Amino acid sequence: MSNPSYAYYPGCSLHASAGEYDLSTRELFAALGVKLTEIPDWFCCGATPAHNVDELLSLSLCAKNFELAEQVGGDVAVACAACFSRLKFTQHTLEANETKRVQVEKALDAPLKIDRTVKHLLEILVRDYGLQRLSEKVSRPLSGLKVACYYGCLLTRPPDVPNLDCVEAPTIMEDLIEAAGGTPVEWTHRMECCGANFTLSRPGVVLQLSNNILKSAKDAGADCILVACPLCHGNLDIRQKEIENTHSTDYGLPVLYVTQLVGLACGLTPDKLGLEALIVNPMPLLKKKGLL
Amino acid sequence: MGSKKKMVISQKTMELDIVRKVEELSGTSVRRCFQCGKCSAGCPMATFMDHPPNRIVRLLQLGQWRRILEGRSIWYCASCETCSTRCPNRVHLAAIMDALRKLAWDHEGPSKESYVQLANKLFLENIRTYGRQYEMRLAAVFNLKSGKLLKDFMLGPKLITKGKLKMFHQKNKNMAEIEKIFQRIEEMRKKGEAL
Repeated sequence: MSNPSYAYYPGCSLHASAGEYDLSTRELFAALGVKLTEIPDWFCCGATPAHNVDELLSLSLCAKNFELAEQVGGDVAVACAACFSRLKFTQHTLEANETKRVQVEKALDAPLKIDRTVKHLLEILVRDYGLQRLSEKVSRPLSGLKVACYYGCLLTRPPDVPNLDCVEAPTIMEDLIEAAGGTPVEWTHRMECCGANFTLSRPGVVLQLSNNILKSAKDAGADCILVACPLCHGNLDIRQKEIENTHSTDYGLPVLYVTQLVGLACGLTPDKLGLEALIVNPMPLLKKKGLL
Repeated sequence: MGSKKKMVISQKTMELDIVRKVEELSGTSVRRCFQCGKCSAGCPMATFMDHPPNRIVRLLQLGQWRRILEGRSIWYCASCETCSTRCPNRVHLAAIMDALRKLAWDHEGPSKESYVQLANKLFLENIRTYGRQYEMRLAAVFNLKSGKLLKDFMLGPKLITKGKLKMFHQKNKNMAEIEKIFQRIEEMRKKGEAL
């Protein structure tokens, strides 16, 4: 059975602080025989700052990216939860609002072409590729690994926009981890906000909100946290030491991207998954669990 | 906590033209809210705010835009979309917050919550100049302009070793097109064709 190919939108973080998410995505998809073609010269989606102060700019930037995506066939595959949210919001808003549609067409000086299907990597792995086929690719099951699947905000909320899974009780990440042989833990903070882009302007907020998430995962007995968003990753991984110092505690919880952990289960080596780029070193845990 | 001034509701103090702009920008009606408080109950940032989210909507219903502007709540919203998700009346409060920030930005420019505004401004400038976001540049310029020179100083070397901060970057080939988008939007606003 041949796999569909996708127009890949990595987003800015994957070309900078989240290089390991980009690398592990490309390697995993290649190993599964799924073709990703990067959209040439894509732009920043505007992320949270653009829609926070200038929605028209945010919609126009995303609409421009849809126009650029016309050069590459297939559904649009998105890795970052924020890019995914903005692209889906643009479709949702412009489908319903004639005034805004006219404004964006003027901003682009071109007719809108935004009816492409946008999918997060999770959907592609779980629904398009399929859990059954994925589990057949697993050569190194994540046996005994207790994983706290962290959704954060933008993968699921609000209703009718991302349409990835249930807005209050999603299971897509847990389903994926089970297919890879791991054990998802039940915990309280999988949908709570990490403080997001306040990491630049108000790091104190992040230290507090992300601490609640790390504490909840630790209390639930998790060995590691699984994420699908570079901003969540930055707050939980890069700032984890600072959070521990601020709250006089010790979590030592590795935070891995979905493509890293699934890639590991599919037999990819650590260098192809960028595991060495993680700030909280996952190697001792993975060795202890016999996964390296 | 919030303004201690007594609230007087009259034609004079109700700025309904601003409320209409908020409704147009956000595509949602503030009148649908019946103050159940679910938005504030689920808001992860409510403890940082002077006016909790449900009160922001109530203040809008009463046309009390100035009170919102004088407060800090809109600059502490994290855009997590929990309020919009749980509202039983489908008030899209996260979009209302966007609209309020846009109008505050237009009215006041940098305000007392200028760190958030500064971060937003630099982020948009980066898009206009480079087409993409470069975190190293964003953080460095933010620290320089906010006077917090040593903020996250300890993180820097580690991030560079891990390859997480790129010192050099390529410019996007379509930069002329992105500049045109910014200019056309400015033009539309000058002509009154967009808010």
